Amino acid sequence: MEVFLEQLINGLTIGSFYALIALGYSMVYGILKLINFAHGDFFALGSYIGYTVLVFGSAFITSHFGLWGGMIAAMLVAAFCVAFVGVVVERAAYRPIYPAGRLPAVVSALGASIFIQNTIMVIWGPRYQAYPASLIPNIHIQLGNIHITLLQIVILVLSFFLLGILYWVIQKTTFGAAIRATALDKDTASLMGINFNRVIFFIFTLGPALGAMTGVMVGMYYRQISFTMGWNYGLKAFTATILGGIGNLPGAMFGGLILGVLEMFGAAYISAAWKDVFVFLILILVLIFRPTGLFGEKVAEKV
Amino acid sequence: MKITKYVVMVGILLCVFMPFNVMAAKPVVIGLQGPITGPWAYEGQMAKQSCEIAAQLINQKGGILGGRMIEVRVVDDAGEPKTGALAAQKLVGQKDVVASVSTYGSSVCEPASNIYEKYKKVNIGYGVTAVRLTQRNFKYFFRTCGRDDSQGKFFADAVPAKFSAKKIAIMHDNTAFGKGLAEDTKRALKSMIDAGKVQIVYYDAITPGEKDFHVPLTNLRETKPDVWYFTGYYAEAALLISQARDIGITCPFVGGNAAINDEFVKIAGLNIAKGCYMTNEPLPGDLPYPEAKEFLKAYKDKYGEIPSSPWPIYAADALNIIAYAVDKTGSTKSSVLANYLRDKVNGVPGITGPIGFTKLGDREGVPFYLYVVNDEGKIVISQ
Repeated sequence: MEVFLEQLINGLTIGSFYALIALGYSMVYGILKLINFAHGDFFALGSYIGYTVLVFGSAFITSHFGLWGGMIAAMLVAAFCVAFVGVVVERAAYRPIYPAGRLPAVVSALGASIFIQNTIMVIWGPRYQAYPASLIPNIHIQLGNIHITLLQIVILVLSFFLLGILYWVIQKTTFGAAIRATALDKDTASLMGINFNRVIFFIFTLGPALGAMTGVMVGMYYRQISFTMGWNYGLKAFTATILGGIGNLPGAMFGGLILGVLEMFGAAYISAAWKDVFVFLILILVLIFRPTGLFGEKVAEKV
Repeated sequence: MKITKYVVMVGILLCVFMPFNVMAAKPVVIGLQGPITGPWAYEGQMAKQSCEIAAQLINQKGGILGGRMIEVRVVDDAGEPKTGALAAQKLVGQKDVVASVSTYGSSVCEPASNIYEKYKKVNIGYGVTAVRLTQRNFKYFFRTCGRDDSQGKFFADAVPAKFSAKKIAIMHDNTAFGKGLAEDTKRALKSMIDAGKVQIVYYDAITPGEKDFHVPLTNLRETKPDVWYFTGYYAEAALLISQARDIGITCPFVGGNAAINDEFVKIAGLNIAKGCYMTNEPLPGDLPYPEAKEFLKAYKDKYGEIPSSPWPIYAADALNIIAYAVDKTGSTKSSVLANYLRDKVNGVPGITGPIGFTKLGDREGVPFYLYVVNDEGKIVISQ
């Protein structure tokens, strides 16, 4: 039982990473019907920027902010920088080719992904980089036989907090309603006075910013980052998006969490080597019985 | 008019013969295939620097074959088997490459050495310790490093006794090297297991490239081992030890000879890394030989610090022994070099001690030590 709970917490931790990245995919797909393959690399870039902030600001952070403050500072700086990069990528790589249709845009997204990945390699080098262990809060918690770290709990709380805020923004605010309206029908939404470009600007700031914050959290959690990490996480997050129903934001959140937990349980109770097989088997089964994903009804309605 | 004609003719003759003059002094090219980029880039870069220093030392003494310089031609295999095969293709395709120092990882060496063998080019591995690499009766494959079974045997002799361990956990990473070392260790422990002195309570693999090892580690924790031997690379080793300490595994950690280096200490952090052990060939700074002192001085002069893992100097020795064989035989023919290395090279002084090869192409006599990360994060011989 203790092991079960421990694996559940581990699974939720990775799941919340997937969920936060998946949101970025899902928002862009919802509005533009574009699979933004560069999104995983926004995440990796965020991780590297957070690393740089921590390494170069280490003296300042430890004396002024404390360790948790350093974590928040790194996340905020990474979020701002990557949000900026996100907007630039949208302007440079996507906007000029929207008229050409969806497929060229996907190819352009792949190109942007390769570009960002290699830029990271050129700037920070091909070696693994390590988040400085001395700047990461490292407090163990032992409840009975359950061993977890305080960082894990903070990551979980922070992720759920971010997910909650995003949910609130999308579902409860006027601007969120504008985004949902644009996702349903772009042309009618414009006729109703919704500024399409502002919506795009918003999703290309918010998505990459969330990705970047996740990147910092992943760096803190595993301590080791590499310039190719965006691809793996991007793929998993994309799977989570499909599992939850692409274009559906609560779907992306739950898809990510479910994927993380499934992966952990697959590894724990079936076989570590077969965990991806297990995850994708579940995905295939879900898609057979619910082709629009677990929460995909809204997408089906609009088609 | 006649004079201008002669001048023109002499000019033309000069143009024709110049290339031959240049060719007479052209360098002897030795290839280096290593992981210059990718997950083992740190090792690959040091191997490159080591080979260049070794070549520089030979060249400063006047080169080989009466004045020809050594040139190192580096090809990147990114630490991947597939890229490794392409890298080997690239080197065998270049006629002026005499022989190749190839490579760091056993799983990369396996396909690459097939290609070298097919195109009859001497290739000397410098970090490839999987036993089976020399069990294939290859004529052109050698290695300057030891084999996993010598390391497995050392583990069985030294480690359980040191920690008075009865329950041993062995974890590998499914690469040719990691799995090979784990299996050899198991084999070396067999007599002790049969005598009831120790038991292996955990024997399983992790997936390299993963970042999350909570699941296998939880399984390992439940078996309550007295000592934990990880046979894999530092990238995973650092993550494993951090996550293991997080979930409450407190037993001593012993890594194989690729598990601990400065990067390991950096990634895991000093608090976790200190007190981690590894079975290892002697590190560069611990070598007593005069060749080692000379090499390390030149290395330090150029790069500021000596190599932090043992492998790069095996690369330097591989280059040295190729140069030695070319010089002694006066030939750059692969079959001549291979025969000479196998039959005639014995006790030739090298940076890592006397170099000689067995009939299979293995290095003769490589010592092992138990190392530990001390309180300052330095990797020192454990007392």
